[in-house]
Amino acid sequence: MNKNKILSINNLHVEVAGKEIVKGVSLEINSGEKHAIMGKNGSGKSSLANALAGHPNYEITSGTVELDGENLLDKSATERSLAGLFLGFQYPMTIPGVTVANFLRAAIKARNGVGIDIKNFRKVFKEKMKLLKIEDSFATRYLNDGFSGGEKKRLEILQMAMLQPKLAILDETDSGLDIDALKIVANGIIESAPKDGGVILVTHYQRMLDYIKPDMVHIMIDGRIVKTGGAELALELEAGGYDKLEATVSQGVGV
Amino acid sequence: MNTVTIRKNSTGFRNQNRFEPEWLYNIRKESWNYFNELDLPHRSNHLWRYTNAQDLLPNNPEELIKIVPSLPDQSENDSSFSDKDFSGYGYNRPDFMTFAKLSHDLEKAGVVFKDLLTASRENEDIVEKYLGQLVGYGFGKFEAMNLALWNTGLFLYIPDNVEIEKPIRLQRHPSGPNTFHRLLVVVGNNSKLTLIDDYSGECRKEEAQTNSAVEIFTGDASNVKYFNTQRLSNSCVSYITQRAQISRDAKFVSVFAGIGSKISKFNTGTILNGEGAESRLYGIVFGNENQQFDYHTMHHHKASNSFSDIDFKVVLKDEANSATTGLIRVEEDALNCQAYQVNRNLLLNEGPKAESIPELEILCDQVQCSHGATVGPIDQEMLFYLMSRGVDYKEAMNIITFGYLEPTIAKFPAELGELTRGLLATKMKG
Repeated sequence: MNKNKILSINNLHVEVAGKEIVKGVSLEINSGEKHAIMGKNGSGKSSLANALAGHPNYEITSGTVELDGENLLDKSATERSLAGLFLGFQYPMTIPGVTVANFLRAAIKARNGVGIDIKNFRKVFKEKMKLLKIEDSFATRYLNDGFSGGEKKRLEILQMAMLQPKLAILDETDSGLDIDALKIVANGIIESAPKDGGVILVTHYQRMLDYIKPDMVHIMIDGRIVKTGGAELALELEAGGYDKLEATVSQGVGV
Repeated sequence: MNTVTIRKNSTGFRNQNRFEPEWLYNIRKESWNYFNELDLPHRSNHLWRYTNAQDLLPNNPEELIKIVPSLPDQSENDSSFSDKDFSGYGYNRPDFMTFAKLSHDLEKAGVVFKDLLTASRENEDIVEKYLGQLVGYGFGKFEAMNLALWNTGLFLYIPDNVEIEKPIRLQRHPSGPNTFHRLLVVVGNNSKLTLIDDYSGECRKEEAQTNSAVEIFTGDASNVKYFNTQRLSNSCVSYITQRAQISRDAKFVSVFAGIGSKISKFNTGTILNGEGAESRLYGIVFGNENQQFDYHTMHHHKASNSFSDIDFKVVLKDEANSATTGLIRVEEDALNCQAYQVNRNLLLNEGPKAESIPELEILCDQVQCSHGATVGPIDQEMLFYLMSRGVDYKEAMNIITFGYLEPTIAKFPAELGELTRGLLATKMKG
């Protein structure tokens, strides 16, 4: 049913600086589902995330991607965001001179095409800040300037909460977080991820999946999804490690 | 070369004008002679590497001798000047008449604010003592030209112990093909002033030139803020030389915003002349199209325990270019000074060029000094981050540009920061 299909990726190939990094990925996500894409550094999972968001350095050489039934690949990064795609950055950019509040205001203004209702913006903003245990002073600080790793990641989730995308791709949102910060961020994702949208959790480790139970887990090795399963697959991986999995895959077993 | 032609054919100076005192006439005449004797600065001179001096030279300086400032008439007489935002207001008209209006309270407090020609007659003792002492004919060819030919001028004197809360605003406009502006400010001990020196307007003739000389003397423990905005139309050629001399324990903040003119050469400097003097120099330039900015900043520490800081940012797009030279000089007997300087340049596309040259002349070994200079393109990752949130390319560029300048603008006195943000927003829209 196309109706429930939030994301549909078909045989996607991505190159970075002429080198193929993503080598034919296909993936479908239905509304309300959370998928985890797991893989080691260099497996292509972050490249997949960046390519979907329209980063100019990631060239899609073949394949198709539809977001909620619409072709995503002919759109600019701006248009993809407006179409409902959200990328939570692994390394959120620091932009000195631009306050968190002004940044969010610009993003929300872009959505409505007109000035936003400041009163309502403030109310939702405050609620979400409280949920993510973010202090009020955040709003007037320069974007990610001098933020700790945990603060940066909480700010990414705050943005997701404010923008209410159809599909949120969270690229290693768990990295750089201590256990307390991880719980806050995971809770933030659970509470504010759009209910009838989709979520992709891109991660190296299983630990965030203790808090956010995925509907599906995909393992990526060398630019391909080599294994797909339920939440238990992440635990298997945690127990056996990537090396063991890689060995099985190279023998042609798990695919 | 024209340089030689001018010198050989230079006429004598005009006769004394009936409105000007003899000492003033003599300074003008001397300056004129000096101007003619000096060679046109050559590109081998480091301050002239980036601008062709010929572009700043009037076609016919001899003709300009005839233009003398007029004494203001009563046509704009306003004996009860009052304004909710400003304590005083000075401006020049196309007929070279210059007007200065001051709030009644300040008049009563002994503040003098009038056109420079009138002041040279009525406040001779002060004007003669200070005029040309910081930006005189010995400074250089174009400064000598200004002192000889200035045709609109303002004078502001603040006695000791007068605190002026609301800014005094100057609006300076081009008059005809060549306007020579002059400003002399003398601030007494323990006094306080915010002065807005705003250059704006259309140059009626293509490539009309404005040349301005600004001299500011501050008394001990005074607090002076000087804001220079240059937003002349893109057909103008603008040359401004500004010097301030800061006395013991005085605080001086000089802020500049350059967004106008086809060619803008700006030389701003502060001499820390008394122990404990502090100078902060903050500025931004935003250039587009074919604009050319050639900026020189200077902090000259002549006294011990003095402090200086420069934060100057440049943003360029299209085919604009910019050169910044920043000199810090600390004299041998100026001990325990602190001198900091940062110049950063952001290029929004492939077209613009920017250069940044810090110059340090530290003659004393007990000093804390640092300098930094960067030139770089817009960060593509920043751009992508903003676009990934739904902001379009143009808006993302604007946000990054504003953000780049904002930490510097945030150091401006609050009211001047607001003005600057407004100027930038207008320029970005246009």
